[in-house]
Amino acid sequence: MGGTLHIPTLRSIFSWLDQRIPLSALIQFLSRKEVPRQKHSIWYYFGGLTLFFLIVQIITGILLLMYYRPSPDSAHDSVLYITNEVPFGWIVRSVHSWSSNFMVAMVLIHMFSVYLVKAYRKPRELMWLSGFVLFFLTLGFGFTGFLLPWDTTAYFATLIGTEIPKSIPIVGEIAVNLLTGGGEVGQGTLTRMYGMHVVVLPLLTLGFVALHLVLNQILGQSVPIGVTTKNPGIPFFPNFALRDLRAWTVAFAVLCTVAFLLPWPLGEKADPFASAPEGIKPEWYFLILYQTLRIVPSTILSLSGEMIVNLAVLVVSVVWLLIPFLDRKASIEQKSPGFTYLGLGAILYMGTMIALAYLT
Amino acid sequence: MTKKMSESRYTTRKEKALSRRDFLDRILAGWGFLVLLPMIYASVRYLLPVRRSRASAEKVIVGRVEDLSLNSAKIIRLNERPVILIKTNSGQIKALSARCTHLGCTVKFKEEGSYLLCNCHGSRFDLNGKNVRGPASIPLRPYKVSLEEDKIALTVV
Repeated sequence: MGGTLHIPTLRSIFSWLDQRIPLSALIQFLSRKEVPRQKHSIWYYFGGLTLFFLIVQIITGILLLMYYRPSPDSAHDSVLYITNEVPFGWIVRSVHSWSSNFMVAMVLIHMFSVYLVKAYRKPRELMWLSGFVLFFLTLGFGFTGFLLPWDTTAYFATLIGTEIPKSIPIVGEIAVNLLTGGGEVGQGTLTRMYGMHVVVLPLLTLGFVALHLVLNQILGQSVPIGVTTKNPGIPFFPNFALRDLRAWTVAFAVLCTVAFLLPWPLGEKADPFASAPEGIKPEWYFLILYQTLRIVPSTILSLSGEMIVNLAVLVVSVVWLLIPFLDRKASIEQKSPGFTYLGLGAILYMGTMIALAYLT
Repeated sequence: MTKKMSESRYTTRKEKALSRRDFLDRILAGWGFLVLLPMIYASVRYLLPVRRSRASAEKVIVGRVEDLSLNSAKIIRLNERPVILIKTNSGQIKALSARCTHLGCTVKFKEEGSYLLCNCHGSRFDLNGKNVRGPASIPLRPYKVSLEEDKIALTVV
């Protein structure tokens, strides 16, 4: 009498779902992509690592916003509470802060590796364009998130960061008012930065990441011009996906070790009427702009030095965006050493600026 | 043993043998579980509200006697909870939890009739906290009141 109790296995759950939604078709779609075997394939991991750190940011960010209070009176106290009172709060915060820096580093490595192997060339121009947006969204995350602890460094860094656009003609003042919510860094600024950081930027990022990943699945990985590949390629799923997972595991281990041994600090609560602390600097990825502004004279040919730097940044950004359309040689599978030197020059410039900012 | 018996024994052993793929899959699943388990534990501990431990009863000054007129009440905040301070017609000071024991709404003092009313679902309590009407089935929790000169002190446990 009665039947046996059927305990569903993973296979039977998969089979049940597959009869209702096309999971097999999805796996087939993922499996169809082959990752080329070639001597530069190490660079294929950095896009995935960027995605990994984004996932870490989402998870730890959700945990942090359970306790964080976005007002100048209570923001710093709530971060202190997370760090000192909430169980494991200090490690959640430390992981979130360190992971943001690792994510920016991975974005830069990924972007420059894509640039130097000319992976932006036809048919992958849209991937470059979506990646360009994602790069600036990542910087936006760093800028908006930096203010949230409302400590001295955060306050003055945001004050400087929101002053810089003022020198841009016509749109500068409007941009500053939009960023600060009233011209001065205060409650309005904190609310806007918080809203940007937890809603606007995540929604935009998820949309562009989805586009970027779908394009990557459809178009596959690029091979540098003139490089031969070995057959067969590595099936993306599950083979390369498991290799990605291996890289993610190493990244996770490094992240946890660093976050544990070097807990992220929290400065004194921001006091807008106190002097800016000595040696104050922005985060390392904004040091390029910071150091450039330091070395450029205040006026050049009766024009504001700051305005010239801002305009230069705008021009460089537009050129960077349009690289796939400017590099005609790469688009016809020919080597373009001029663009390679341009990219290497950019890396050299950025590295020099960061080093100078720390040393001087 | 016949050949058939030994063959079937061999076949049974072969069917039970784990393939290398399955073995690696299980290792991977086990490793994933070991990594996830402490993270899930830490996340749950993180999300559970922090309980503040109070070692012993403490006296908290909550106001002055003359702040209240006869047959009146006011609601104060004590350790993030609403407490209603009442001065009766005879001048006695009482303190009760202002959170209705039905579904947690904050009660109100009704001068006409000298009782406490919960506007949410109509529960009524007398000035000793006893539930006298409506859906609330448990009295309001009283606080021990002591007067230190002209100050009202409540004992919080």
